[in-house]
Amino acid sequence: MIAFEHVGKRYGGRFEALANLDFRVRRGEMVFLTGHSGAGKSSLLRLIMRLERPSRGRILVAGHDIDRLHPSQVPFYRRQIGVVFQDHQLLYDRSIYHNVALPLEIQGTEPREAARRVRAALDKVGLLHREQALPIELSGGEQQRVGIARAVVNKPALLLADEPTGNLDPQLSADIMALFEDFHRIGTTVMVASHDLALIARLRHRTLRLHQGRLVADEEAA
Amino acid sequence: MTRDATTARGARHHRATPGSRWRGWLRHHRAMALDSARRLLRHPLGSLLTMLAIAIALVLPAGLWLSLDGARLLDAELDESATLTAYLETRIDAAEAGRVEQALAASPGVASTRLITAAEGMAEFQQVLGLDEALARLPANPLPASVVIRPEDPDPAAVEVLAREIAEVPGVDEVRLDLAWLERLRHLAELGHRVGLGLAVLFGLGVLLVVGNTIRLAVENRRQEIEVVTLIGATHAFVRRPFLYSGAWYGLGGGLLAWGLLTLGSDWLAAPVSALAASYGASFRLPGLGLTGSAMLLGCSTLLGWLGAWIAVSRHLAQIRPR
Repeated sequence: MIAFEHVGKRYGGRFEALANLDFRVRRGEMVFLTGHSGAGKSSLLRLIMRLERPSRGRILVAGHDIDRLHPSQVPFYRRQIGVVFQDHQLLYDRSIYHNVALPLEIQGTEPREAARRVRAALDKVGLLHREQALPIELSGGEQQRVGIARAVVNKPALLLADEPTGNLDPQLSADIMALFEDFHRIGTTVMVASHDLALIARLRHRTLRLHQGRLVADEEAA
Repeated sequence: MTRDATTARGARHHRATPGSRWRGWLRHHRAMALDSARRLLRHPLGSLLTMLAIAIALVLPAGLWLSLDGARLLDAELDESATLTAYLETRIDAAEAGRVEQALAASPGVASTRLITAAEGMAEFQQVLGLDEALARLPANPLPASVVIRPEDPDPAAVEVLAREIAEVPGVDEVRLDLAWLERLRHLAELGHRVGLGLAVLFGLGVLLVVGNTIRLAVENRRQEIEVVTLIGATHAFVRRPFLYSGAWYGLGGGLLAWGLLTLGSDWLAAPVSALAASYGASFRLPGLGLTGSAMLLGCSTLLGWLGAWIAVSRHLAQIRPR
């Protein structure tokens, strides 16, 4: 699903955020990405989302070199990736329902079909009863679940998450991770960046460890 | 990934047919038109001030254009009065003068003629100058008979050609045409047109700036939203759409206000203008915008609003990159 071939990323010509990354993620696999903050986890995810372009090497997603996408094709590429952010990135002036419906609105999905999928996604994260609430009325953990519902509402083949449990207590973090495992079980390729090593160790999935922009360990699930 | 591959994958994934895409696109347009109107109404005073600024920028060139339109009507009326006077030779008597008049009336390019006999000329002269006694002492009427000719084509060049032709007609002594003042008026009108066009361009730019600045602030206020939708696959067109509708609404509102101001203004000026015109013996009325004029004003203002928004959003979109 994802292939990094000798990928490097420099910012401003000097600072090397990522160096010589070379790995593959199979379709349907669940992978953790770990490392200290500043190790390059976010940069790596931004490269996959094509928010940044590699300075060296190439990145293949679903067999296509994403660096060669025309700018006008990038939005259509991003629609195939579900992304969960640490700070949720919800829109605070609209309801939970409309936040989750946003990707479908962008795609122009029929309202009836959109409603069905939004409710299915909210049901999956256990927030169906809060669909008319505003994000501000929800707790941090609930907001993160809204973010996840939005990421999966158009059934992406690839789900990326950047520190999805960053601000949550251990129990909520475990709940969130369990959701990602559920999506992994139904065939979605999942990549989660996290520095919660204890939690990752319990979950037993392949783990890529970054250190100062280099891949220092690639451990298959024990 | 080629575009075909992307969309094909997308299609398989979401089962979106071209028809449903088209409906989705229309739905989004409708939603954004309503949404942007609602956003404007949420800040009525601010929106009104922006529209008023647009209206004021539109009123000046539109008002000038209207007055020039009025001047054109006046010009047409003056063309009606553009006449030639052919003075006949003094030896010609009344009967002979009648024959010359008929000959002139039959000439090509002549619309109508009116004969002023020597006696009539004398009478008019006396009436105007009040020199009854002095003139009465003259042994004979020294004035020639004359024929006032209205040309078919009031164009100054054509009238001059006609004048030369008429001078050749036997019995005609001299042809007078005094079109210099008409020429001057035309030059003034031409000048007015150019000034009006220049002002229209300048004030049109003004409208672009007003709308552009307002939209720039709106984009800045919704920066987070723009970043989020870009992250999850919104195209530039999708992001731009609500702002373009806002710009168009501002333009339309400004146009409507300008229309109201122009109507009020022409009502207010109507009385003194017609009094002034009457003192020159002309019937001149400020023309209203009419249906075409109103449609043009509103169309132009809406288009300018849309264009201003487009420029502002496009400039800004290039700068906004998701964090």
